[in-house]
Amino acid sequence: MSQSLGREDVMTKVREHLSAELEVDQAEISEATRFKDDLDADSLDLYELVMELEDSYGIKVSEEEASRIETVGDAVDFVAGRLRD
Amino acid sequence: MTTVALDGRGAERGAEAIVAGARAAAEAGIGLRVFGDPERLAALTGVGGIEVVAAQEEITNDQEPVAAVRRTPEASIVLAAADVAEGRSDALASAGPTGATMTAALFALRRMHGVRRPALALQLAVPGADGPPGLLLDVGANTEVRSVDLVQFAYLGAAFSQAVLGVERPRVALLSVGEEAKKGTADVVEAHAELAASNGIDFRGNIEGRDLLGGAADVVVTDGFTGNVALKAIEGTARAVAAAVGAAARSNPIAAIGGLMLRPALGGLRRELDPDTTGGAILLGLRGVAVVGHGSSGPEGIANAIRLAVRAVDQRAVERTAALLERSGATRSAMRDRKEPE
Repeated sequence: MSQSLGREDVMTKVREHLSAELEVDQAEISEATRFKDDLDADSLDLYELVMELEDSYGIKVSEEEASRIETVGDAVDFVAGRLRD
Repeated sequence: MTTVALDGRGAERGAEAIVAGARAAAEAGIGLRVFGDPERLAALTGVGGIEVVAAQEEITNDQEPVAAVRRTPEASIVLAAADVAEGRSDALASAGPTGATMTAALFALRRMHGVRRPALALQLAVPGADGPPGLLLDVGANTEVRSVDLVQFAYLGAAFSQAVLGVERPRVALLSVGEEAKKGTADVVEAHAELAASNGIDFRGNIEGRDLLGGAADVVVTDGFTGNVALKAIEGTARAVAAAVGAAARSNPIAAIGGLMLRPALGGLRRELDPDTTGGAILLGLRGVAVVGHGSSGPEGIANAIRLAVRAVDQRAVERTAALLERSGATRSAMRDRKEPE
């Protein structure tokens, strides 16, 4: 899997998860979308996303790493970076 | 047969209470998968309907629940919750630490579609009242809530009251500092307006703390901080009054005779107020059933927590709650759309 494909795959997964859980249109979710300010998501929503990504990609995200994720792009960057490592 | 995943660790009264409670539930035809230390649960080996599943780790009360649940996949409560999520058991019950139980249930069973925050609901015994106990929620899952959460709690409580407690048309009220619609915090006032305009439930307005045990409502809605304080105040008051009655009855021979005559009636009252009688609180708003037993549950409390979980499964409480939220326009997106019309 190339890096770009990996990143697209992660973005699709994040978008699908957020759309289903937060009941927002997928078209409204971009990399610049902020979880708290734009999606009205709270820490619980973020934990659920993190766990979904952990399960899907077999990675581990620490509490500290999770707390640094503020935008959709941050989440995608984090997972894509782990997949490259 | 309905099967309950039971946390076999963490109960304040030890494995003995879990073993006795599990045996009592199994005798009533309930299937159990008990997660814990096989040695301490050895008395359950060979009991019909019970399977002991080894779980080597335990999450304790002094651990931060979210971090502990995420870092301890072999903990008994985490394995038990996963058992329900993976379909081997139908419901979860635990008398272990409340925070860990709620977190494990939340992460494994997930929130119901359209629910922002799950709520912990407890049946409040109303001494001498006919009918099932009223339901108070939230009693501790969310210390801070928004109006949207209070509105959703009202629907979660109403659906549970109808499905599991058998109240045909539950009367729902908000707990506040006055009966008038404008009394209370901004979120309570906003929730009042939203509920008053709803047609999916029988909303009766605000009630005050003094009316909590008065039977004025079948479902009383509040935030988890207020609900927990109210609950502990009721428990403490009941203990203090019971001690005062006992002291008065022992104060002189004539009072002692009166006390003896009252003993059967007071025994019934004590039983009504005993947390073991209701079995515990239920976490509403998840895609599965999770019962959080009282930390000090004895065998009867544990058996009743298991029975409560089974009733919720058998009465399809989750499915009926989801349907009520959907048809009443009380899902997260429907409420957001009403607030922010395009």
